[in-house]
Amino acid sequence: MNKGKIIGRIIFDLVIAISVLSGWWFIALPVAICGVWLFSYFAEIVIAGVAYDAFFGMVPEMGWKGYVATIISIIILMITAGLKKVVRK
Amino acid sequence: MTYLARHRRPGEKRARTIVIACGVVIAVIALLQFLLPHFMPGLWTSFARPFWRAEFSVSSGALQSPEQLMNENEMLERQIADDQVRLQSVNALESQVQEFETLLGRTATSSRVLAAVLKRPPYSPYDELVIDLGHDNGVSSTSLVYAPGNVLIGRITDALSQTSKVMLFSSPGEQYQVLIGNAHTPATAVGRGGGQYQAQVSRDVKVSEGDYIVDPSLNDHVFGIVTSVVSDASDPFATVLFAPPVNIYQLRWVLIQK
Repeated sequence: MNKGKIIGRIIFDLVIAISVLSGWWFIALPVAICGVWLFSYFAEIVIAGVAYDAFFGMVPEMGWKGYVATIISIIILMITAGLKKVVRK
Repeated sequence: MTYLARHRRPGEKRARTIVIACGVVIAVIALLQFLLPHFMPGLWTSFARPFWRAEFSVSSGALQSPEQLMNENEMLERQIADDQVRLQSVNALESQVQEFETLLGRTATSSRVLAAVLKRPPYSPYDELVIDLGHDNGVSSTSLVYAPGNVLIGRITDALSQTSKVMLFSSPGEQYQVLIGNAHTPATAVGRGGGQYQAQVSRDVKVSEGDYIVDPSLNDHVFGIVTSVVSDASDPFATVLFAPPVNIYQLRWVLIQK
């Protein structure tokens, strides 16, 4: 990974971290999707999803809705990995 | 004998690694939540709390100039003086109510504690608040939450060590028993999200805009104010739409009934 890509990834991570801390899922989600597409093994999306649910969800009586960010982040990561495999053959 | 070398593309290997890693993450989260349900929210919130506190302090005017703060202080002092005059008449009425309650043997003993709202809708999803008090401060997952002005708005759903999550009664699908209008018609308030409620009453019940909704406790706390009544000639029920008298998007402080 070259230096430019590392810096780019750090910037993406910072934007996602600030967005998740502030509860701005509408910023975190598109930025994370771009990150998954641009960088390899972008595990940060799952970390962000887990963090988001830990902040605002994960209440037993919410049921699966309390884990919606984690579920969405894992689905996005898996779909993008599959898409990348098809597109970049 | 010649064998064809098995060759996997790097992308294929990467996709498989990601699928395995995701499986591991799901398993770890499920196990942690099953064994220690408060571990992950507590851990992540302890990291976030200092940032949220700093954000709250900045939005409360901690970075304002001394001159601005002094002007604001002066204005607030004037406002307090005005309010104190009004408060005296409210106190007189309250003491009268308390006297009646004592006479009837129904004294209300409740201790409330003030909490700062660290996160509120629309930025927090799920129509919930995050407050800066947790079970270290005596907050439990059965505590009720009041907005300033004695307005019941929600309940604690998850009390962590120093923060708690408050589920607003206006969350979609949440239900709460209320009394509507001057006739105190019982009904079930159903949350619609964004601080809005709806309830169904018989079309014959007289409810109009501006009527009060109270919660059916001894103290009759204000729960909401009717904003609209939707009725149809073919429907025996009328839908009452109402909202709390406070704006949940502007809440900065709440009171927790321990």
